[in-house]
Amino acid sequence: MLLIACPYCGERAETEFSYGGEAGIARPKDPHALSDEQWADYLFMRKNSRGMHRELWNHAQGCRRWFEVERDTVSYVIKECYEIATPATSRDNQSRAD
Amino acid sequence: MTDFSRVDLGHINLRGSAEDSRFVDGATKVLGQSLPLAANTLTQSLHRIYWLGPDEWQVVTESDRAADLVRQLEAALAGQHVAINDLSGGQVALQLTGTDVPELLARACTLDLHPSLFGVGDCAQSGLAKTNVLLGCIGETPVYEIIVRRSYSEYLLRWLRQKTHSRAGSVSS
Ligand SMILES: [Zn+2]
Repeated sequence: MLLIACPYCGERAETEFSYGGEAGIARPKDPHALSDEQWADYLFMRKNSRGMHRELWNHAQGCRRWFEVERDTVSYVIKECYEIATPATSRDNQSRAD
Repeated sequence: MTDFSRVDLGHINLRGSAEDSRFVDGATKVLGQSLPLAANTLTQSLHRIYWLGPDEWQVVTESDRAADLVRQLEAALAGQHVAINDLSGGQVALQLTGTDVPELLARACTLDLHPSLFGVGDCAQSGLAKTNVLLGCIGETPVYEIIVRRSYSEYLLRWLRQKTHSRAGSVSS
């Protein structure tokens, strides 16, 4: 079983969470401007990475909040858990900008 | 020996930003005690207040005080970005006493409830016997409180009775 560190509640067993798929997919601002192909790409096409994967999890039996996890899909090793859209890379950029 | 019973209490769900001093001060004044701001903790004096998330708390109080408290909170926090909901009808509180409670709960809960890790003032939302629960340690004896949705409470009581070979906690409603 995975041990997942909810950014709000701390480390909990995988059974408290539900999986939400690939993270970082922004809904297009103007869906009407898209072709069917582009819309289908947004709706259905996923990277399905072998290796490091940015994904959404919901702490369903805990605080019920969504957050992001960087996980290796081969080894299942979790690199990092963080609040939505705040991966280490963007946090580093922010602190450099400060 | 584990002892458990169903307790008739008032339940209020309170939401607002922990970083907004107007909200925290307003709520603190009405409740007469501080909101727990640290994760997985609860405060106890006039009421029991559980931390549920960075912007969410559960206030547990005497059953006849909940409605008044909701009105007072609504008045004090009017116009603010908050949510105040009386959940007394939808939730049930169970209290369990005894040193063997952690071992009992560990049969169907993934939290580490060893007293050195989960002591008085600690709480967590988790799963117990496949049911969503809010669990808190509220007394030295030790005493634990489990808050569960009303529709699951009879099932959870039956589970507790079965595991303890007891007929305690009969539902009297
Ligand atoms: Zn959580």
